[in-house]
Amino acid sequence: MLMQRKRLVAGLAAAAFGVAVGPIMASDTNGDSPLGDSPIRLLIPFGPGGGSDMTARVLTATAPEFCGPRIDVVSMSGAAGLEAVNHVMNAESDGHTLLVTDYGPIVTSGYVDDVEWSHDDWDPVMLFTEWLPTVYTRADHEIDSIEDWVEQLEAEPNSVTFAHAAPLGIVHLPLILFEMETGLENRHIPTSGGGETRSMVMGGHVDLGMTLPASIASEVEEGTLKALGTFADERADVLPDVPTFKEAGYDVSLPAWLMIFAKEDVPQETKEFLQDCFMEALATPTAESMSERTNAGIDPRGMEASADLYHNTVEMVGSILREIGEID
Amino acid sequence: MLEALTDALLLALDPSVLMFVALGILLGITLGAIPGLSGDMAIALLLPTVFYLEPASALGLLVGIYKGGMFGGSISGITFGVPGTPGAAATTIDGYQAKLKGKPNRALHTALYSSVAGDSSSDLILIFIALPLAAVALKFGPVEFFALYAFSLLLISALTRGQLAKGVAACALGILLSMIGRDPIGGSLRMTFGIPELAGGLSLIPVLVGIFAVSELIVQVSKAWAAKSRAIVEDAKEKSKMFSDYDAAADKLPFRDFLKLWKATAIGTGTGTLIGALPGAGSSLAAFISYGLAQRFSRNGEEFGKGSMEGVASAEAGNSATSGSTLIPLFAFGIPGSATAALFGAAFILMGMTPGPNMVRDHSDVIYALFIILIYANLVNLLMGKVLLPYYSKMSMVQPRILLPIVFCLAIFGTYAAGNSLIDVWVLLGAGLLGVVLRLYGFPLAPLILGFIVGPGAERALRQSLLIGGEWSYLFSSPIAIGFYTTALGLILVFTLLLRNKA
Repeated sequence: MLMQRKRLVAGLAAAAFGVAVGPIMASDTNGDSPLGDSPIRLLIPFGPGGGSDMTARVLTATAPEFCGPRIDVVSMSGAAGLEAVNHVMNAESDGHTLLVTDYGPIVTSGYVDDVEWSHDDWDPVMLFTEWLPTVYTRADHEIDSIEDWVEQLEAEPNSVTFAHAAPLGIVHLPLILFEMETGLENRHIPTSGGGETRSMVMGGHVDLGMTLPASIASEVEEGTLKALGTFADERADVLPDVPTFKEAGYDVSLPAWLMIFAKEDVPQETKEFLQDCFMEALATPTAESMSERTNAGIDPRGMEASADLYHNTVEMVGSILREIGEID
Repeated sequence: MLEALTDALLLALDPSVLMFVALGILLGITLGAIPGLSGDMAIALLLPTVFYLEPASALGLLVGIYKGGMFGGSISGITFGVPGTPGAAATTIDGYQAKLKGKPNRALHTALYSSVAGDSSSDLILIFIALPLAAVALKFGPVEFFALYAFSLLLISALTRGQLAKGVAACALGILLSMIGRDPIGGSLRMTFGIPELAGGLSLIPVLVGIFAVSELIVQVSKAWAAKSRAIVEDAKEKSKMFSDYDAAADKLPFRDFLKLWKATAIGTGTGTLIGALPGAGSSLAAFISYGLAQRFSRNGEEFGKGSMEGVASAEAGNSATSGSTLIPLFAFGIPGSATAALFGAAFILMGMTPGPNMVRDHSDVIYALFIILIYANLVNLLMGKVLLPYYSKMSMVQPRILLPIVFCLAIFGTYAAGNSLIDVWVLLGAGLLGVVLRLYGFPLAPLILGFIVGPGAERALRQSLLIGGEWSYLFSSPIAIGFYTTALGLILVFTLLLRNKA
């Protein structure tokens, strides 16, 4: 219903003012498409306007040409995202209903929540990007580097307050992993999201926070915030001067990927077709300029590379959750 | 500077931009007036158009929807007693009472004027003193937020005079309902009774629409059934007489009458602007606090809740005055302080601008154009409101037996569309039943909604404070927090004494 109205509203705007909103509702039927005419729906387990929403919308603008049918993005954040995940799980296995998510609602939820599916019921179709969780603080804070942070905690355990969004989410698990690795302890302060974390860090109410690089890149460049380190194997493109924890000598890397998932029982050739047409779409100049504009950092990878990454994450998150006693 | 301003003027006053502003306002008022649908949702849906429109046109469309939606929410609040948006919940308290007294037009006009007044002042503050105000907003950490929430809960629970206990009970029930779902600190599930769909908690829109609208519908339907008994037939006759006797000519609001409401409007504007600038506080909270303060400082405080125009003006000014200032943290620090600000932030990002202090410097033409649009969109909103309101007030006087089923369908449709969730529809119906029970026993509904809105923030702020500070005394470690607690105590003392003297 949401989508119909979206089309209606968009159509209204186009009709009344002759504006080129065409690509949103493009439905150039591709005769060869094994997917027929009915639209592909990309379900997002988060509210509208966030990183996953904006990234997925690059496909609605570019992929219909290659995939055949129209592509709609549907945001369904109910039940902490599980409503979207379950909706895709209960849909027909025809490749028309797909899930776009980071590992939280699918890997972590698969362990800690009472769900009717297991991790093996999902297959990645492709990967959009990897977000690299980054620790940051305000410019005038006395902690300047990973080393300062560790020193302060060694001198006085539990003396650093650390703000992060939802517990066990993509900007909290890396901290837990770091503490497991080093035996250090921080005071964890959960917040309602990146915005609250940031105002608590900037207002001096907490010492450190964790976020994703795109949201702090321009402040770090300006010198109003400073980033201490990134939980990844390589430095973030937008934060080239910020070291990884690996460089500082801590083997802690937990990137938060954004992938498209299909149910495991969707026919293999359908998944391959979707992979191919999405990858083609993301290679177009339009997609690249949209990615550039939105700081989405789209760097697509195919289903095999995505599957490896997915299974690694499942294992890694499982071992963290077991270690902290969240699961048996 | 001057050159940038001329460029911006040319951008903002382009006829196509003007048309998008007008289209946005029309859409916003209409969607805002449908219970369950809000301007935010329309902005979210239209976000992708940013890819295809010129920046000024796209911003004009979004600003128009936002402003129209802010005011539109009060239309259904006043005409059907069902707040169209969460922000209009406080407006509904007096607005609907005024309508029942045959003054829908006065109430709607009061809402329109105060909405535009609050909105315009707030826009000016965003444009001229965003930075100093943003610096104050950053001083609000968990300790200060908890004090603000505690202050607002106290103020609102005590709204209905002589019903303090029921107000506090309704408020507590609201907080309890807001705690269903995942614990914000520990992450464990609370009060979900094994229903996985409740893991994300109850959504605001179905609770709001259910408590106000569905309960009203159930009450009306049972009244119609009970009308077989004679006494109630008489009552129903009297009621329907009110509807058929509606005299549109007598129900006018001359502008000088609105000017008499300056105090309530000013309180709403000031409170709304301040609360709007605080990341995370929100327009409903601003409206409720404005309403509470206006009642405290009004000479006719006892009229509040019985159709007071001051009540409508303060709540609506408070609600709308958040609209400019909610962008302040976004402009000053890149922090989205509300759902709307987050959507505007996303729109800026889609346009290739990173929200934050540099945005104004690096893209001065677009940002100045946005400022100009913010100001003149208020005028468009006023004009369009003036044109549409007579129709809305006539519509509000359609017989309830025709109107209510339509409102009910719209409520179900709006609730489902807001989250694509069937669970929300069940929550809507459940909240409706709860609303009936509360009405039967004479509990005020507004404190419940405020408790539900403020509950999660208050809990998070309290527990964050205790995690950071480690002990309860930390709650009194900030001058701002102590200020809120003293004001709350002071207000209670002063008014208890005043009331005693009056008696």
